[in-house]
Amino acid sequence: MPSASALRLQIEHALEHRFPAALTPVQRTIRETAATGIAAVDDLLQGGLPVGAISEITGPVSSGRTSLALAFLAARTQEERVCAWVDAHDAFDSESAAANGVALRQLLWVRCRRSQAGLPKPASTARTWARPDFLHLDQALRATDLLLQAGGFAAIVLDLASTPAEYSARIPMATWFRFRQAADRTRCSLLVLGQEPMAQSSAAVVLTCTRPESPPAFQTVFAGCTYEVRTGRVAAHPSTPFLATQRKPPASTWSANAAWQRETSA
Amino acid sequence: MTAPLYACIYAEEFPAQALLRLRTDLAVQPVAVLGGRPPLETVCSLNRLARMKGATHGMTRLECETIPDLHLLTRSLETEAAARAVMLECAAQFSPRVESVSEENACACVLDIAGTERLFGPPRTLAERLREALTAAGLRASIAVSANFDAARLKAASARGITVIPPSHEAIALSGLSLSVLGLSEDYAETLATWGIRTLGELAALPASDMVARLGPQAADWRKIAQGVLPHTFQPIEDPFSLEEFCAFETPVEQIDSLLFVGARMIDCLAARAGAHALSLASLDLHMQLDGGRTYRRAIRPALPTVDRKFLLKLLQLEVAAHPPEAAVLSLALSAQAGQSSKVQLGLFAPQTPEPSRLDVTIARLKAIAGEDRVGSPVLEDTHRPGSFRMESFAVTQSASAQAIGSCTPRMALRRVRPPAQIRMQLAESKPSAFRDREQSYRVAEAYGPWRSSGCWWSTEPWDSEEWDVLAESNSGSSIACLLVRDCAQNQWQLEAYYD
Repeated sequence: MPSASALRLQIEHALEHRFPAALTPVQRTIRETAATGIAAVDDLLQGGLPVGAISEITGPVSSGRTSLALAFLAARTQEERVCAWVDAHDAFDSESAAANGVALRQLLWVRCRRSQAGLPKPASTARTWARPDFLHLDQALRATDLLLQAGGFAAIVLDLASTPAEYSARIPMATWFRFRQAADRTRCSLLVLGQEPMAQSSAAVVLTCTRPESPPAFQTVFAGCTYEVRTGRVAAHPSTPFLATQRKPPASTWSANAAWQRETSA
Repeated sequence: MTAPLYACIYAEEFPAQALLRLRTDLAVQPVAVLGGRPPLETVCSLNRLARMKGATHGMTRLECETIPDLHLLTRSLETEAAARAVMLECAAQFSPRVESVSEENACACVLDIAGTERLFGPPRTLAERLREALTAAGLRASIAVSANFDAARLKAASARGITVIPPSHEAIALSGLSLSVLGLSEDYAETLATWGIRTLGELAALPASDMVARLGPQAADWRKIAQGVLPHTFQPIEDPFSLEEFCAFETPVEQIDSLLFVGARMIDCLAARAGAHALSLASLDLHMQLDGGRTYRRAIRPALPTVDRKFLLKLLQLEVAAHPPEAAVLSLALSAQAGQSSKVQLGLFAPQTPEPSRLDVTIARLKAIAGEDRVGSPVLEDTHRPGSFRMESFAVTQSASAQAIGSCTPRMALRRVRPPAQIRMQLAESKPSAFRDREQSYRVAEAYGPWRSSGCWWSTEPWDSEEWDVLAESNSGSSIACLLVRDCAQNQWQLEAYYD
C-alpha cells in the first residue's frame, strides 16, 4: 500500500499540468525600500521601510513612534516627494516636524475632529461609527482612503497613536486589505501609528517601539531620549525571506535630541 | 480682389431657444415663452411642438393653460444675451467679421466669408460646419450663403436648413419670397397689394423709374433688394470675449442635483467656448439668486487652467455640497476667467507627485470630511508663542528643493493635546512632584524647568507661561515624557504635549 507522501506526489504529478500555480511555490517579491533617515532603524530593516506597502509603528506613549515617522517623512520630502499626515486626534506638531527636517510645503496635513458641527453626514451608516468616539477614526480612515486612491503621495502617515487600542482594533480587516491594494498600486508607503498592531497580515512591516526603563538623566534640561525598536513582522525582507523561525525579534536603539539643540552637538 | 460672399445665421424663436439651450430636459416638450408684465403676459416665443399643440404668438397665460402638457416659461433677457454671445462666438470661429441683423423675435447675424474657401472648403461645406457648431452649442438655426448681403439675410429668414445661392441667381432665389420680408409700412404694403404685387419677384419686375415716381426714392432700394443687387457697407461688431452663462428657473430649485444638471450644461458650453479660443478655464464664479432676495457666491479655482468638464463639474458639486445655498435658487449664473492651457514638462526622473486636477478634487473631498480650514499645509508663524502655526492651501510646488530645510538628525517630536488638558499638580520645593490627568495619576520622576516665556502683552492675546519637561510614571507602571505648562496669568497647570 503506497504511503501518504507517495500518494500525494502521484496526485501532484498528475495534476501539475492542470493547476501549475496551485502546486508551485509563489515567488516572493523583494520590495523597494525607502530609508527612514535613522541609521539604526535602516540597518534593522536592511534598507528602510517598504514602498507600496503598509508599515505599522506601534508602541506606548513616548516610545518614539512620532519621531520615527517624522524622520521618514523628512527623508521623503527632501527628495521633493509629496507626503500626507492624516491626524486622527489633531496631535501633529508642526514645529517638531520642521525641526526634524520635514519640508512643510510638501506635506498635506488633514486634521480630523471629534465634533460634527458644520460637517455633512458621514457616509458610514453603521450606528457604532456615528458615535462621537469613533467619528475621528471614521474621518481618518475615509481621508486615508481618498489620499491613497488619489495617488502621487510618496508616504501617508495614518496617525492613530492616540486612539485607544480597543477602538482601533475594530477597524474592519477589509479596510486594511483595501489600503494594502491601493498602496501597492500607487507605490505609496502607508505608515500607521498605533498603540497595538491593527493591520495584521496586510502590514508588510510591524515595528514595536519602546522606551528603555532607565532614561538618561540630565542635569538641568531634557536634552534627548533613547528609544528601542523591534521588528515584529517583516513580510518581504530584502535578503532573508522568512524570519518567523527567529525566537527573539531583532532590536535596535536610536537616539533623538531635543528640537532646540544644534546640529553639531548631535 | 476676392468676390464678396456672405453667410447669414438666422435663429428663429430665439427667446425659446435660449431658454431650452440649457434645459435639455424640456427639449422634447412643448414649450411656450411668456413675455410682458404680469398678469398681462402673452406668448412671445414657442417651439415647434407647442405650435403643433395649437399655441400661437400673442396667446395669454390663461389661454395657454388650457392646452394640455404645454410648459410655460418666463422670458429671460439675461439668458438671451448669453445665448446670443454663444451664437456670435460660433460665428467668430469661421470669420472675424460678423454683423448683427437681429430682429424682434429672432437672433441673426451675417458673416463675411469672402476668401475662406481654402480654410473651410466650398460655401456649402462651411455652412454645414457652421450649423454643426451651432447645434453643438444648443442652437437651431437656418443658414443662407449668397454674394449679396440682403439676399443671404432674407433667404435665411424665410428658408429652413442650408441654402446656397449661386452667384447671379439672387433674383431667382428671392423671387418667391413674400413682400412682408421687406418690412414695409402698412401704407406701402397696401399700395403694392392693390397693384397685385405680392412677391419679391413681381416687385423686381416693375420698372424702376415708375416705382420711384409713385412710391418715392426708397422704392429703388426695395427693387434692388428684390433683385439681390443692393450694395451693403459691412459693419462688423466687436463684442468683448466674456465667458458667462445665465439661467433663470421658472420655479425655485431646492435640490442640488437639479441645480447641477443645469450647471453641467453651462460648464460644457463655457469649456467649449474657451476651447474654441485655445484657452482654458482658470476660475469659475458661481452666482445664485436665492429666494427671499439673498444672493449666493462661490469661486472655484482649479490648480491649473483646464477644460476638463467632468473635473470642473466635480469641483462645482463638492463646493455646492460643502456650502449649500440657504434657500431655494431662483437663477444660476456661471462666469469664468479664461487662462492659458497648462503645459507641464514632466521629467523622466522627477519624483511622482499627485496629478493637480485629481488633487483638487481630493482636497475638496477631504475638506468635506474634516472641515474647510483643517486641510492644508502647516506654516510656522514668526513668533515665540509655543505651538503657533497657520494653515495654507496645499499645492504641489516644484521649487521646494530651494527652500531651507532643517537638520536630518532625529529630534524628539511632540504630540500636542488640543485643547490642552487641565491637570491637578502637586509641587515639592517649587517643582512638580505628582499630577493627575482625569482618572490617571502620575508620579514625577524627573522635572526639567521652568522655562518661562511671555509675549504679545501689547495685544489682546498675550501669553505668559512656564514650561516643564517631565518624565513621569503612572500608577499602572507606564512611563511618559510630557510637556507641562503653567499659565502664569491664571495659575493653571495644563498638559500641553507628549514627547513621542
